[in-house]
Parts: sequence; structure tokens; C-alpha cells
Amino acid sequence: MIMYVPKLRCAAIALAFSLLASPAFAHEQAGVAGGLLSGILHPLTGFDHLVAMVAVGIWGAQLGGAAIWVLPITFPLVMALGGVLGIIGVPLPIPEIVIALSALVLGGAVAAQLRVPFWAAAFVVAIFAVFHGHAHGIELPTAANPLAYGAGFVMATGCLHLCGIALGTFSHRPFGQRAIQGLGVVIAAFGVYFLSVSMAAA
Amino acid sequence: MGQRFLRLSTTALALFLSATTADAHIIAARLGDFYAGALHPLTDLQDVILWTALGVLAGSLGAAKGRWLVLLFPIGLLAGLAVARTSDLALAGPVLDAACIVVLGLLLVTRLNLPTPLLAAIAVVLAVIRGAANGGDLDPTTNTILFASGMAAAGYVAVTLIMAGTVAFSEAGAGAPAGWKVIALRALGSWIAAIGLMMAGLALTS
Repeated sequence: MIMYVPKLRCAAIALAFSLLASPAFAHEQAGVAGGLLSGILHPLTGFDHLVAMVAVGIWGAQLGGAAIWVLPITFPLVMALGGVLGIIGVPLPIPEIVIALSALVLGGAVAAQLRVPFWAAAFVVAIFAVFHGHAHGIELPTAANPLAYGAGFVMATGCLHLCGIALGTFSHRPFGQRAIQGLGVVIAAFGVYFLSVSMAAA
Repeated sequence: MGQRFLRLSTTALALFLSATTADAHIIAARLGDFYAGALHPLTDLQDVILWTALGVLAGSLGAAKGRWLVLLFPIGLLAGLAVARTSDLALAGPVLDAACIVVLGLLLVTRLNLPTPLLAAIAVVLAVIRGAANGGDLDPTTNTILFASGMAAAGYVAVTLIMAGTVAFSEAGAGAPAGWKVIALRALGSWIAAIGLMMAGLALTS
């Protein structure tokens, strides 16, 4: 029994240390590498951004036609305009609520396989793009390397669209259609959650 | 026999004592300035984005139009460096760099069929601006000839490889480029233009 006491103490100390541990980085998160990494991670670690961007890609693929190629080309540009507003300090009304709403609306559109005229879809997506870009743009001037940060978040957003488009191509198959609609429901549900959190904080 | 051994030992000792350090690389022979010139633009994200955008744009327009850049781009870089060394003229700046990124990105997005002289003019102007920017960072102790040679070599290799890669990507499989390849190049252009737009916003506020 006496033998077990030091082991128990050691285990307790080890557990305490493991809980207190902070992440260790092999490289210094500064300069171009730091800016690029933070830019790439910003849309990926912000789950509200992530699901909305994937939903944009899926909806574009569902709509088909011009939407599938206009979307990945124009979205980054419109988002960058929102980013410029954030950089120069132009405030947008209720940004968190609109970003949460984007997940709800786009997820709902995917779930319902909503067919709207192309211009209407482009308008809705453009509004959300400005708000998402604004959220990224606010953080750009304080990044380790603003140019690298901008490049990182544009690339990450573009890749999320590509993921969405790739997923959306399954909607043209019988089983895939149901699966993608289910994914839309999940995204919309996240949108409801983000919306409730944003409204509670407002 | 003993005297011969003594003479050989003395010679060996003299050679041993006169030995200097051996460098695995030729940096100590002042050729380091060549590598500094080659690496300087490749470690600057502005140069990387601009050179990439120009190479992709030229490649997307086809090998016949783009091949002039193989010669003109390095010459433009050298001209820009010469301007920076001989005058106080400030050719580069954050706003101008951002504007160049936006223009190149939008040219890729719109897929305008630029005539060869216009493409060549854009390449030369861009090369002069970036050559001046790189030349402006030159240390007084740096060997300008070696630095310029390194920068021109890097410009030649980078633009040629990016352009050739884009031509190969666009024309793989023969005939006109596939639809998705055109979309991919245009999407890349929109990414580049988006980065430039935000850089312009940042440059104008700071």
C-alpha cells in the first residue's frame, strides 16, 4: 500500500502538468510564416465562417450553370471589398448576427435545394461575402504580416469553396442528393446556434 | 635516408601549418552577393505574388506571347536596379505594389486577350518597379554586379518556370484548355486581385 502512495502522487502531479500544458510550436509564429498561418487558420478555426463558405460552394454546385464558375471567381473579390471596409475601419451593422444568419440562410438553401434566379443568389451571397470579408479585414492590420495574412485567408476561403463545390457535385446523384440536403440541415442548425449566441451577446 | 625523412616531415609540417579553412560553399569568395541577389526577391512576398501573377498571366495567354518575357523581365529588373542605384527616384511603394497586384489579378479574371506588345510593356514596367525596390535595399558593401546577376537569374528562372507550368497546365491534353482549367486560372486571378485590394486598403490607411 505504501508503494502506491508515491505513484498516486506522481500521477496527480503528471495530470496537473498535462492540464496546464500550452501548445508548443516548432517554429516562431512571426513574420511571413506567422501571418500566412494566422490568415489560413482564421476561416478554418472560425466555425461560422467555415460552414458558410462550404455552404456557398454547395449551393453554387446545386444551382449549376453560371453559378458554379461565377462563384469562386467573384466571391473573393467581393469579400476583399468587405475586407477593405474592415481595414479602413468602416463599421457594419450587427456583423456577428449577419454572419450567423449566413450559415442559417445558406444551409437552408442547400437543404431545400432552393432554386432562385442567378442574380438573386449572387446578391444574397455578395451581401454575406462583404460581412465575412469585413470580419477578416478587421484583424488584418494587426497580423504578423498583413500581406501574408490576406493571402492566407483568401486561399483558405477559396479552398473551402472548392470543398463545397466538390461536395455539391454529389447532389446530382440519387443518394448524394439526400446526403447533401442533410448536410444543409446540419449547417442551418449551426446557423441557428450561432444566431442565438450572437443575439444573446448583442 | 634520415635527412630525406626530415625534409619531408618539415615540408608536411609547413603545409599543415599554412592550411586555411575550407569552405563547402563559395560564399566566402564574395559570390554570396550573387545568392543574396537571387534570394532577396524570393523571400519578399510582394515579389513572389507579383512574379507569380505575371508568369501565370503570360502563360495563360500562350507560349507565343509569353516567350518575350523570358528576355524582357530580367532586363527590366536590371534596369530598375540601375535606376535605384543611380538616382533617388522612388519607383516602388505599397500603393503601387498593391495596384500592380490588382491589375494583374483582374487581367487574369477577365481573360483579356492582351496583344504581345502590351504584355511585354506590362512585364517591363513591373520588372523595373520590382528591380528598383530590390535595389533600394542594397547594402553599400554589397557587390552590385553580383547582386544584380543573382536577381536577374532568379527573375529569369522564376518567370520562365511559372509561365511554362501555366502553359503546360492550360494545354495539357491537347487543343483548347478544358473549361475547369480556365475557371481555375480565373479563380487564381480573383484570389490575387483580392489580396491586392486588401493591400491597397491597408496601404492607404497606413
